[in-house]
Amino acid sequence: MQTLKRYFYQCSLILSGSCLVMMALLILLQIGARTLGVVIPSSEDFAGWLLSATVFFGLAYTFNSGGHIRVTILLTRLGGVKRRYIENFNVTAALLISGYMMFYCLYTAYESYDYQDVTDTYLVMPLWLVQAPMALGTLFLFLAVFDSFCTALSGKTPNYITHEDSLGNQE
Amino acid sequence: MDIILIGAILFVCLLLMLTSGIWVALTLTGVAIIGLNLIGNTSIGLLLGTSSWSAMTNWSLTALPLFIWMGEILFRTRLSQDLFEGLEPLLSKLPGKLLHVNILSCGIFAAVSGSSAATAATIGRMTLPELKKRGYDEMMAIGTLAGSGTLGLLIPPSIILIVYGVSAEVSIARLFLAGALPGLVLIVMFMGYTIAWSLLKGQSKKGDEARVYSFKEKVSSLKKLIPIVILIGGVLGSIYKGVATPTEAAAIGVAGALLLSAVLGSFSWSGLLGSIEGAVKNSCMLGLILVGAHFLTLAMGFIGIPNALAEWIATLGLSPLELIIYLTVFFVIMGCFLDGISVIVLTTSVVLPMVTQANIDLIWFGIFLVLVVEMSQITPPVGFNLFVIQALTGKNILYIAKAALPFFLIIGFAIVLITAFPSLALYLPSLMSS
Repeated sequence: MQTLKRYFYQCSLILSGSCLVMMALLILLQIGARTLGVVIPSSEDFAGWLLSATVFFGLAYTFNSGGHIRVTILLTRLGGVKRRYIENFNVTAALLISGYMMFYCLYTAYESYDYQDVTDTYLVMPLWLVQAPMALGTLFLFLAVFDSFCTALSGKTPNYITHEDSLGNQE
Repeated sequence: MDIILIGAILFVCLLLMLTSGIWVALTLTGVAIIGLNLIGNTSIGLLLGTSSWSAMTNWSLTALPLFIWMGEILFRTRLSQDLFEGLEPLLSKLPGKLLHVNILSCGIFAAVSGSSAATAATIGRMTLPELKKRGYDEMMAIGTLAGSGTLGLLIPPSIILIVYGVSAEVSIARLFLAGALPGLVLIVMFMGYTIAWSLLKGQSKKGDEARVYSFKEKVSSLKKLIPIVILIGGVLGSIYKGVATPTEAAAIGVAGALLLSAVLGSFSWSGLLGSIEGAVKNSCMLGLILVGAHFLTLAMGFIGIPNALAEWIATLGLSPLELIIYLTVFFVIMGCFLDGISVIVLTTSVVLPMVTQANIDLIWFGIFLVLVVEMSQITPPVGFNLFVIQALTGKNILYIAKAALPFFLIIGFAIVLITAFPSLALYLPSLMSS
């Protein structure tokens, strides 16, 4: 199970990282092509879609490694049981909100598929395809929060806290 | 339900959720969901879905992860060390000597990295031990570092200006240019204060044991600064000349940073992967906050709070100046408890119509906001630069805040300056070819 989880977070990082690299390459390619007088069709739209893929795919990895910022000033002042209670409340709230988000992001992509929607860009793409990273990414985030939620319920310290502490309040 | 009541409920929810430690991005989304429920909206989920999608498919936003990536690459090079060694001989004549190296290397490094806390960490790790070894006043060493670490927010390419520009729908290229002059003015004021302080305290002779540099040495030290100057010049120049959009400049910046790290001999595959990992983490953190903020702005619009606020302010008959003063006080208090990004996104979702109503230029307002956020970076109890320096030095956070206080006041003075002379911020953008 632990190995599986590690693969899951690695997968989130790799998907997100490769979208970032592709986005950079695409934009560089576009600049290069333009100086030669060639226009790559819809490259700006593709860059935008890659951006959404970069951000959404990486959410789970970022959550697990304590990357999403929050105000910890009160938490760090509290010790022991009180802190645990508030942390449990936080992770439950996060589970609800991210679950809501996941459901409707999946629904949005599904609806685009159902209606056979296409993008209004020069190169026409099926809308559900470019929305899929958003749907999958919020699903990944929900799973990551669920993972931390289960860990917290079983009385252990979730990963995000461990990593936050080792980061030492960095931005 | 009465709009004042809804506003009050949402404000309390927001504060409770933020202070209890719920992730900022999820708090914004959560508050928006609560607000839409209060006014009985029936398609909240559909709004969330479409707003999440449109928040992240924005061409100008693509500059954000790229500039973050560029900074991550540069952190892994010898650049900070080169800056230090290159600047030291040049500044050896100024009273305060190495303290100026602290300020200038922070300013320059901030310009390319765009992150305030990371700049303070990288530069401080190098300069603080050196300053201590040579017997500089510790408080001043910490103060200059804390203060000039915040320069990263203002000097382009600034991550926080991209966040503001995207949420307020203002041209990012213009924002970048608007930030340049105030940033320079801040550096000059920081250095001026350091000179005055050294002369007054009679510390100008400190570090005299360091040798005198010949002209030839100064020239050779200049060479170490060339790569970084080319990189900054390339990125900013291409935006200014209109050759590239900020996004394209960011991509060029990434390529340039990789090239630079290869030239400096610090390129490695593991370093490259590490920089991608760092960029992913920071971009996703900011990205989710922007998704939340976009949805909150939408919800606020439905509820009508920003318009109600704007109308209320209009009936008060405040002059823009009075409004700015009140806003400054309000933001500084908020900034004591919230991080800079949260202040910016909350502002753009609630306060912006009020600002537009008062006929305040949105580009100018962006620069004003960033200056206020700079102040908030060095105010306790929540100030990222204070945390970073605390981790570096092991000093009490109040001690560091006290050391940073003069610089806090100088930034406050800079706000007065750009209010009295708005052209400080607005002159350069007005030159840009439209």
